[in-house]
Amino acid sequence: MFESFLVREGSLQNVEKDGFIVGFKFDVRNCDYRGCFLSLHTGYYIEVDGEVFPVELQKFEINGKPPRSFDEIAKCVWEHWDFDDWATVYVQKPGGLSKGKHRLGIYQGVMAQYGWMPHDQEWIDNPPSPLEIRGKQTGIYYYDLEVE
Amino acid sequence: MAIKRGVSLYSYQQAQFLGQMDYRDMARELREGLDCDGIEIINEATVPGYPFPSREFLADWHNTLARYDLTPVALDGFLDTLRFRDHVMTKAEAAELIKLDLQLAHDMGFTHIRTMTGLPVEVIERALPTAEKLDVKIAWEIHAPIPIKPDPTIQGLYCESPGTAVADTVEFIEKTGTKHVGFVPDMGIFMRAPYLSGVHRLIRTLEDRELAEQISELMEEVPLSELGAEVEKRWPGRLNPQQKRALSWKMHAAPEDLELILPYVFSIHGKAHNMVEIPGKPGQYEEPALMYAEVIEVLKKNDWDGYICTEFEGQRAYQDRGIEHLLDEVEQVRRHHEMLKRLIGE
Repeated sequence: MFESFLVREGSLQNVEKDGFIVGFKFDVRNCDYRGCFLSLHTGYYIEVDGEVFPVELQKFEINGKPPRSFDEIAKCVWEHWDFDDWATVYVQKPGGLSKGKHRLGIYQGVMAQYGWMPHDQEWIDNPPSPLEIRGKQTGIYYYDLEVE
Repeated sequence: MAIKRGVSLYSYQQAQFLGQMDYRDMARELREGLDCDGIEIINEATVPGYPFPSREFLADWHNTLARYDLTPVALDGFLDTLRFRDHVMTKAEAAELIKLDLQLAHDMGFTHIRTMTGLPVEVIERALPTAEKLDVKIAWEIHAPIPIKPDPTIQGLYCESPGTAVADTVEFIEKTGTKHVGFVPDMGIFMRAPYLSGVHRLIRTLEDRELAEQISELMEEVPLSELGAEVEKRWPGRLNPQQKRALSWKMHAAPEDLELILPYVFSIHGKAHNMVEIPGKPGQYEEPALMYAEVIEVLKKNDWDGYICTEFEGQRAYQDRGIEHLLDEVEQVRRHHEMLKRLIGE
């Protein structure tokens, strides 16, 4: 679902901290027909120009709070990501992205499901990577974005 | 006693996602575009700050219903069993979530909540006192591939015994005599052909363009219901299992099966993927994949009283393309209501 509309156009930017560029960020929506309790969101498969950035390098900003790691997000079992809200994904990459065009590949990991499934205990013990969660996405989505 | 028309705002999910319509715009469309009064929502799509909305939202919700003279039908909820992350949600915890939805439904004026398919009796039992106290009913959705008549061979989804879940719940209702437990059947169990949206997507995305062209031409020759079998006969093995699924379909329940549970059917999900004009009947539409005429006949024959709420979901099969190729949900729902009005005999 919403394969062409998950990432906000024009939102890819470098992130600066204490005078240094420490990574990049972009805005996303929940590409389902509903929001979710935050703890169900396990992060993203992200590649930029072929380079993959694992979940450990990602942070997630939502509900007016500072960006949080997905380990912290996993503990937010009562906080909700509302369907209408844009969130921001931060990716650690010293030096950031060069100015100009980049190809972003993305797959959103949300463990939303319709009741109990045979894989439940396995997924609690060994949470699947975003790509291993078979959601409503058809595959990795690619966006051509520009860093200005 | 009458069959009444409503809409689940799920139908306008794309317009909401793209910021084109909010729930107030949708409410206006129900009254002014469709002349219907039943409204159903997805809790986690419409309610900001779910499960604890602000008093301002609740006031605005009731104000919107009053402005357009709408009747709340069902609040649809979910059971995300992995939410706690350190353990699988227990049945007792599931009942607590159901209680929150019952309270929310009560606060928003809904008569019942629609819960997940195959909701176990143990969960229902634990939540029932709250349902009775608030006078909000618990209805679980009978969604494909779950049948109405028992089929114990269906395993491995939703709950421990999905194939017999309807019969288990009926047994509970009859044993306890409760008036607060029932079902929301989804029209998708009454299939008569594959969904056109899936067929379109297959044709559009097949790498084998020659085969895509051939399937497209074959659609002019054979009924939609036979398309999958005919493709396999003419070009065996050319489609992989996933691609074949786009052309396959199964009648999970017969329309007359509804008579087994009708007293416990609180509303119906009027699923639709593609509303297409009936050949030779300009301005009249049908959903080629589903048995609407037959189901509505059963409802009329039995004097069923309740809402059929449109649940349009064909839009998502076109969202891998640009904005100019998206389906127009407002138009599709209007077509669906042309069909409902005509079949109901309004």
